[in-house]
Amino acid sequence: MTSEAEKAESCPVDGNRSDGKDRRSFIARFSSLWMGLGLVSGYGYFASIILRFLYPSRQTNAKDKSWQFVTDLGSIKQGDSLTFISPAGEKAVITRMNMKGDASDFIALSSVCPHLGCQVHWEANKNRYFCPCHGGAFDPSGKATAGPPKAAGQSLPRFTLKVENNLLYIRAKTKSLV
Amino acid sequence: MGVIGNWFKERLPVSGVELAELTNEPVPNHMRRWWWCLGGTPAYLFVVQIVTGILLAMYYQPAPETAFESVERITNEVNFGWYIRSVHKWAATLMIAAVVLHQMRVYFTAAYRKPREINWMIGMCLLLCTLLLGFTGYSLVFEQLSYWGVTVASNICDTVPVVGGTIKQMLLGGESYNENTISRFFILHAAVLPTLMVMLIALHIAILRLQGISELQFEDEPEEGPKHFDFFPDHLYTELIVGLVLMILLSTLATLYPAGIGTHADPLTTPEHIKPEWFFYPSFLWLKWFPGTVAVLSSGFIVFVMFIWPFIDAMIVKATKYKDFYVWVGIAGVLMLVGMTLWEALH
Ligand code: HEM
Ligand code: FES
Repeated sequence: MTSEAEKAESCPVDGNRSDGKDRRSFIARFSSLWMGLGLVSGYGYFASIILRFLYPSRQTNAKDKSWQFVTDLGSIKQGDSLTFISPAGEKAVITRMNMKGDASDFIALSSVCPHLGCQVHWEANKNRYFCPCHGGAFDPSGKATAGPPKAAGQSLPRFTLKVENNLLYIRAKTKSLV
Repeated sequence: MGVIGNWFKERLPVSGVELAELTNEPVPNHMRRWWWCLGGTPAYLFVVQIVTGILLAMYYQPAPETAFESVERITNEVNFGWYIRSVHKWAATLMIAAVVLHQMRVYFTAAYRKPREINWMIGMCLLLCTLLLGFTGYSLVFEQLSYWGVTVASNICDTVPVVGGTIKQMLLGGESYNENTISRFFILHAAVLPTLMVMLIALHIAILRLQGISELQFEDEPEEGPKHFDFFPDHLYTELIVGLVLMILLSTLATLYPAGIGTHADPLTTPEHIKPEWFFYPSFLWLKWFPGTVAVLSSGFIVFVMFIWPFIDAMIVKATKYKDFYVWVGIAGVLMLVGMTLWEALH
C-alpha cells in the first residue's frame, strides 16, 4: 500500500492516526467518484447531442390517414393494376378484379414485401404476387403462399378503398407540411 | 548530409540507430513462406483502397440525384476513371478473400490460443469492418442492387428485437431510404469505417509485435543457424515485391473485367434477379432458408461464437483433454461456407 503511505505523507495533518487515514481515504474515494460521475455525465451529454443529431428529426412524416384520390373508374379495366404512392411514401398495388362499378371491384395491397421490404409484382401467368428478393409469393388476396413470408405467416397488408362519383379513393397516410 | 542530420538531431531528440532497433522486429524464418504473410496482403490492399478511394471521391457525388450519374461519368469520361474504379472494386474483392484466408490460416494453426485471444477478437472486428466497407461501397453506386441491398439490410436491422428499429433509423436517417441515406453511407464508407480500420490495424500489429508471431519449425529446415531474419530491409523488400505483383494482378483484372454499371435505382420495382455480392451469399441463403428474426438472430449468434471462439476452444480442450477438436469445427465451418457460396453462385 505504498500509495496510501504516499498520500499520508503528502498530507501532513494527523499523518499517523489511523482513523484519520480512513476518513481521508474515504473522502478521497468519494471525491474521485464524484469527479468520475461529473466527467462521465459531462462527456455523456455531448455524446447524447451527437446521437440526437444523427437520429432523424421528424421520426415520421406520416400523419393521420385520409382519403386520397387514385383514378377515375373509366381508366382502369378488369385485370389491370396500377401502383399508388401516398404522400408519406406508402406503396400500394391496386388491381381491378370486377366491373361492377363499386369499391368491391378492387383489391389494394401494399406492394412492400413484409419479409424484408422489397417490391412485390403481379405475375399474371401464375396468379400470384412474387417477391424476387428471397422468393416470397402471395395469392391475389395478399396471403403468403411460399418463401420466408409464408414461414413467418406474414401477408401483404390491405388498404381500404371507396368509390364516389365514379372516382376511386384510397385511405392512406398523408404527409404533414411542417 | 552531416549538416542536415545535425540540424534535425538538435531539434528532434531521436537517434536513427535507436529507432531502427526499436522498430526492427526479428521475423521468424517461416515467414519466408508466403502463406504466413497473408495478413500483409489485406494491409497492402487497404492502402490501395485508401489511394483509389480518395481519387474516386474527387468525382463521386453522394446524393440520390447525382450518385449514379457521377459513377457513370467516372466510368466513361474521367481519364483512367474506369481503371481507378475497377482497381477499387477488384481490390475490395481480393481484400475480402485475403482477410478470410488470413483468418483461416490463423485458425487452423490455432494461433488464436492464449495469449493471442485479444488479437483474434480485433481480427474479427477487422473482418466485420471489411465486410461493411464492401457493403457500404457497393451501395454508393446507386444502381438497382445498391438500393435494394440497402433496403433489405436495413430491414434486417429492424428485425433485431428492442434496438433494431433505432439502428435502422440511424442507418437510413429516416423510416426508409430517403435523401439522407446515401450521404450517411458515403461518410461511413469513406471516413468512419476506414478510420476505425486504421486504428484497429495499428492495434493488431502493435499487439502482434509485443507478443511476437507464433513460431514454427519446419521439418526441412536446419535445426541450427539463425531462426530469424530482419524486418527491415529484408521483410519490407519482400512485401514491396509482393505489392507490385498485386498491383499487376489488380490491373490485369481491372482491364479484363472492368467494373460495370447496372440500371439506376428504382424504388418502385425490385429487379427480377437479385443477388448480393458473392461474400454475402451464405447470409443471403440463410435468409431464404429461415424466416426473418430466426435468420438474423442465428447469424448474430454465429458471429458471436466466432468472436469468443478462443475461450470456447480453451474450455473444450480443458474439458476433453483433446487438443484438435477445433480442426473438425474449422473443417465443418469452411465446408459449410464454401458449400453455401457455391450453391448460391450456381443457382
Ligand atoms: C478497405 C477499404 C475499402 C473497401 C473494401 C471498399 C469497397 C468498395 C466497393 C465494393 C465499392 C463499389 C465499387 C463499384 O461497384 O463501383 C466502393 C466504391 C467507392 N469507394 Fe470504396 N472501399 C474501401 C475504401 C474506400 C476509401 C478509403 C474511400 C475514400 C476515401 C472510398 C471511396 C469510394 C467511393 C467514392 C466509391 C464510389 C465510386 C464507385 O463506385 O466506383 N473507398 N468501395
Ligand atoms: S423481401 Fe420479399 S421475400 Fe424477402
